[in-house]
Amino acid sequence: MYTFEIVRAIAVIVLGATGTWLLLPHRHGRVKPAASNLAGAALSLIALILLATLWRAPSNLLNGVFFYAFGIAALAGGVLTVTSRNPIYSALWFAAVVLATSGLFLLSGAQFLAAGTIIVYAGAIIVTFLFVIMLAQREGRATYDRMARSPGRATLTCFLLFWTLLYALISVRSPHSDAAAEGDMQVRLVRASQILQSKQMVPTKGNASVVVRALSPTNKLPEAEPHASALGQHVAGLGGALYTDHLITVELAGSLLFVALIGALMLATPKPPVRPGSSSQPPV
Amino acid sequence: MSDPFTFQMLVNYLIIGAGLMALGTLGFLSRRNMIVMFLSAEMMLQGTALTLVAFGRYHGNWTGQIFTIVILTVAACEASIALALILILFNRKSSLDVTLWNEIREPGQPAIVEDPAEAEATEPVPGVESYPVLTPAGIEPEHQTWTVHRD
Repeated sequence: MYTFEIVRAIAVIVLGATGTWLLLPHRHGRVKPAASNLAGAALSLIALILLATLWRAPSNLLNGVFFYAFGIAALAGGVLTVTSRNPIYSALWFAAVVLATSGLFLLSGAQFLAAGTIIVYAGAIIVTFLFVIMLAQREGRATYDRMARSPGRATLTCFLLFWTLLYALISVRSPHSDAAAEGDMQVRLVRASQILQSKQMVPTKGNASVVVRALSPTNKLPEAEPHASALGQHVAGLGGALYTDHLITVELAGSLLFVALIGALMLATPKPPVRPGSSSQPPV
Repeated sequence: MSDPFTFQMLVNYLIIGAGLMALGTLGFLSRRNMIVMFLSAEMMLQGTALTLVAFGRYHGNWTGQIFTIVILTVAACEASIALALILILFNRKSSLDVTLWNEIREPGQPAIVEDPAEAEATEPVPGVESYPVLTPAGIEPEHQTWTVHRD
């Protein structure tokens, strides 16, 4: 079973590398025969299907169907983003990658991130579209889109990277440890008795709910913490974790956005070039 | 959610993330259009975000999703700066080709010379694009260019 998986992974890497290499634009100065493109597409598709057989299907049928659809769509969109000759097609396929990734986020219980990714990247892709129409279309079918920079070596490097990650992922075995969860419960029991003693609370029902609320960590997903329903489910829980445990992260992210805004404004504003012989001082 | 997030599911998500990362690297290394390079870098970020969300779900905490929010922020900043850079680089050379900027390479490295004749020829598309192009005739009127136009 294990060696069979290794063989399939090697087949995925070899077929995928060959297919992607055939799909990339080369420098031979001729019209690429359609058979070469077709062969590349077929090899990449076979590699993708073989890769999909390496996944273990989820127990839920509907989840499984959507997982396979989104996973295959993400990787196929990635191949097409990289190999499209026209940057407009690249941007469109990248939009497909983003949509598929948001679907995978939804499946893994990250609703807010799924929505946020679509919103942020929709803006980014529209701006990219504007740039492509504004800059690239002026030149028509540019030569640099039709000749990749050393496609063979780049494909070799990237599929070696993929092979390393894939080998590590399929050879790792599931860890079995519940010791951490038990230790966590022990810590919480000690902490509960400390709270009860220091506040001199009488263990009534109302006090008990207060203590439970105080003890339930903000950092746990609702799936992992069935008793913490008072803290709110998905998005409310994410907000709770974000604004209690990671408050400085939020501040830092805000500052980063502000600095990037200033930087982009400074970069994009047209300025007269400063030359060594120019007499006039540049405006400060 | 009724479906438990098992270790096998985690491995599935990590495989997809690794694939997106490798494909993004491939695009960044081999394509020469700066816009496609930018999209490839964003694709690498997507693969990483997928990995982080899956790890967070497997370990049952929010940390993976919070990391991903930070990645989204950094991606937005990177997009604004990268597009501003692309704009000024285009204004200097009138081209999105990144190889034209090899004059700022490390000293001692050989220059990369690209021959446009080596590019893959475009197939003639039936329709307007394959109509014959007339040679411009007459005197070219004076006009001011604010960028250096390459031929």
